[in-house]
Amino acid sequence: MIQPFTSDPLRWVAEDGQPIRELPARFTPDVLRGLHRDMVRAREFDRKLVTLLRQGRTTFYAQSRGMEATQVGLARSIQVGHDWVWPYYRDHALGLTMGVPLLDLVSQCLGTNSDPSRGRQMPHHFGAERQNFVSISSSIASQVPPAAGNALAQKYLGVGEITVCTFGDGATSEGDWHAGVNMAAVNGAPCLFVCENNQWAISTPLRAQTASETVHVKARAYGMPGYLVDGNDIVAVMEVMSSVAEEVRQGNGPALVECLTYRVGSHSNADADAEKNYRTREEVALWTGRDPIARVEGLLEHLGHPVSAEERADLIAATHREVDEAVRQAEASGQPDWRIMFEDVYADLPVHLREQAAFLRAEQTGGQA
Amino acid sequence: MTVTESRPADQGSAAPATRTLTLIQAVTEALREELARDERVVVFGQDVGARGGVFLATAGLQAEFGERRVFDTPLSEASIVGVAVGMAVRGMRPVAEIQFADYMGPGFDQIVSQAAKIRYRSGGQFTAPLVIRTPSGGGVKGGHHHSQSPEAYYAHTPGLKVVMPSTPYDAKGLLKAAIRGSDPVIYFEPKRLYRASKGEVPTYDYTIELGRGAVRREGGDLTLIGYGGVMPDVEKAAQALSGEGVEAEVIDLRSLVPWDRDLVLGSVEKTGRAVLVSEAPRTANFMGEVAYVIQEALFDRLLAPVSQVAGFDTPYPYVQDKVYLPGANRIAAACVKALTY
Ligand SMILES: Cc1ncc(C[n+]2csc(CCOP(=O)(O)OP(=O)(O)O)c2C)c(N)n1
Repeated sequence: MIQPFTSDPLRWVAEDGQPIRELPARFTPDVLRGLHRDMVRAREFDRKLVTLLRQGRTTFYAQSRGMEATQVGLARSIQVGHDWVWPYYRDHALGLTMGVPLLDLVSQCLGTNSDPSRGRQMPHHFGAERQNFVSISSSIASQVPPAAGNALAQKYLGVGEITVCTFGDGATSEGDWHAGVNMAAVNGAPCLFVCENNQWAISTPLRAQTASETVHVKARAYGMPGYLVDGNDIVAVMEVMSSVAEEVRQGNGPALVECLTYRVGSHSNADADAEKNYRTREEVALWTGRDPIARVEGLLEHLGHPVSAEERADLIAATHREVDEAVRQAEASGQPDWRIMFEDVYADLPVHLREQAAFLRAEQTGGQA
Repeated sequence: MTVTESRPADQGSAAPATRTLTLIQAVTEALREELARDERVVVFGQDVGARGGVFLATAGLQAEFGERRVFDTPLSEASIVGVAVGMAVRGMRPVAEIQFADYMGPGFDQIVSQAAKIRYRSGGQFTAPLVIRTPSGGGVKGGHHHSQSPEAYYAHTPGLKVVMPSTPYDAKGLLKAAIRGSDPVIYFEPKRLYRASKGEVPTYDYTIELGRGAVRREGGDLTLIGYGGVMPDVEKAAQALSGEGVEAEVIDLRSLVPWDRDLVLGSVEKTGRAVLVSEAPRTANFMGEVAYVIQEALFDRLLAPVSQVAGFDTPYPYVQDKVYLPGANRIAAACVKALTY
């Protein structure tokens, strides 16, 4: 069992890639290479989508550059398609690694006919039924009480699943966060709460967000274990997540894992000038230096299985091609028309919506029904 | 006169009396002047400090007035609103920003249970003169969590005043009046007009009484009534109709609670026709109340049924967001229908 409530983040690999505790046997060079591939893919997805944003082909994007170890590590620690995930809006690397098709992610960002959510949500708000990856809501922390309910249902139904609920550090200030975490704890719901603490909520730093020393200590007040992990060390993330997920699955009630990481890029397209506005270039540089991908590369090098520059370049190029192809396919599927507005509001189409749809059809087709 | 103006005595004749501002600049200016005028005024919310707000409505204010007067809060609308209530009860003039009207939800209980009712439940012993500013409405590719028009929820709650300007002049005058007023005010800012709406704003101090509408255009053939983000399209529709020889009288409500019944009824009495425009979903839309009052007061004067152009009863769709909004064509078509009834 892993020690909860540590004062320092749990860590297996130092920033330069040297293991600081014995590397668990399951982290073979092959496995580590697989993780490296997932992380690079997530990073390059990010880069390509930021380009699409700059080109005006999508209108919103929330980068996760710097947070790959946290999201990829989490994805690789749960039973995908069996467990349920209530993610937040910065979780595309989590979704991607869980196997949500890249085409679906790109389509959602472009709002095309190939978008499973049918162009209704703003970009970067995915949902994937097959992966039990519940559609993202922009409203901060509003997924927390439903996640507790999802977990309560799993307990009630006795299905051996767990629920994963992710959020940023800012979300822990919302009443919904406290309400949901408390409810899960009181009912012993199998819910794994994961704080992706990237230290900023738009321009608000953690210190202005909470007076508690860390996020994970809040778990104590609700009666559940809280873990603090170096979120840029994928080995640590996976060691803690898989062990805690197992505890949660065994019926020991919910747990909170705080992954200490950093949002290297801007919060969203709205604050491209973050460095000028509210944080220092020094701070960003410090954390860029703690890059989770570089750390795995250091580890592989230490193990005598370095990733060659050529391999890396191939990986990057492959992801770029994959995204380009997805964009092409998505755009070729066309834009949903006015009809998508009225479907899925309810299970049926009540009479007032039928009338409104008829009105819009007449307007849009110049009177021809 | 719908405007209460007070010019400073030393207003020099050389100083320009007005200059052009955008709606958001007018908001910033109102906040700056009120912060300077009254020590009890404080401005707070998520990212309003160093960042200056996500739309930059509070840009520069923290630098100018310091962190005691202009400050960031944790990410909790319930605390933002609740704290505003407590501060107001204790004698301050809080102006809170909720980052998007869509995110008033977590603060809803504080708005309707505390802010709206403290005067009433205490027999007037305690009051909460606060302002909650929040960007609302669509047209910015925000999808359904960044585009909603929730004003009806608040208009439905006794004890709250509800305001939504559409011009820089109004934005400044109404915000100042809201800050100086004695009641809680929900002040919606139509975000798609933040930079699109430009206009002349006086350099001298003025306020606009809450509850007074404005006539944007005079006409005798029908009355077109709107507020907030739809106003430019309402005026465009009126212009198009004018090209066809139809003169619409255009009214901007500016305040929903209270709203300017006299202005509206006077105009509809003259024209005999009313088309009401808003972008909020149609069901239980605030304009339903306006329609009800018109038909009750003027049933025998109406030449056509009062009609509404509203948003559809669907969550705000991302891809089709322009189709969702009542544009000038849809508004003009409704007018033609009323004219040919
Ligand atoms: C209820 C609510 N209030 C405000 C916002 C606006 N908003 C969007 S993201 C954000 C910051 C969230 O920070 P955090 O939870 O730390 O996640 P991060 O973006 O840093 O990953 C805010 C205030 C929102 N989406 N929902």
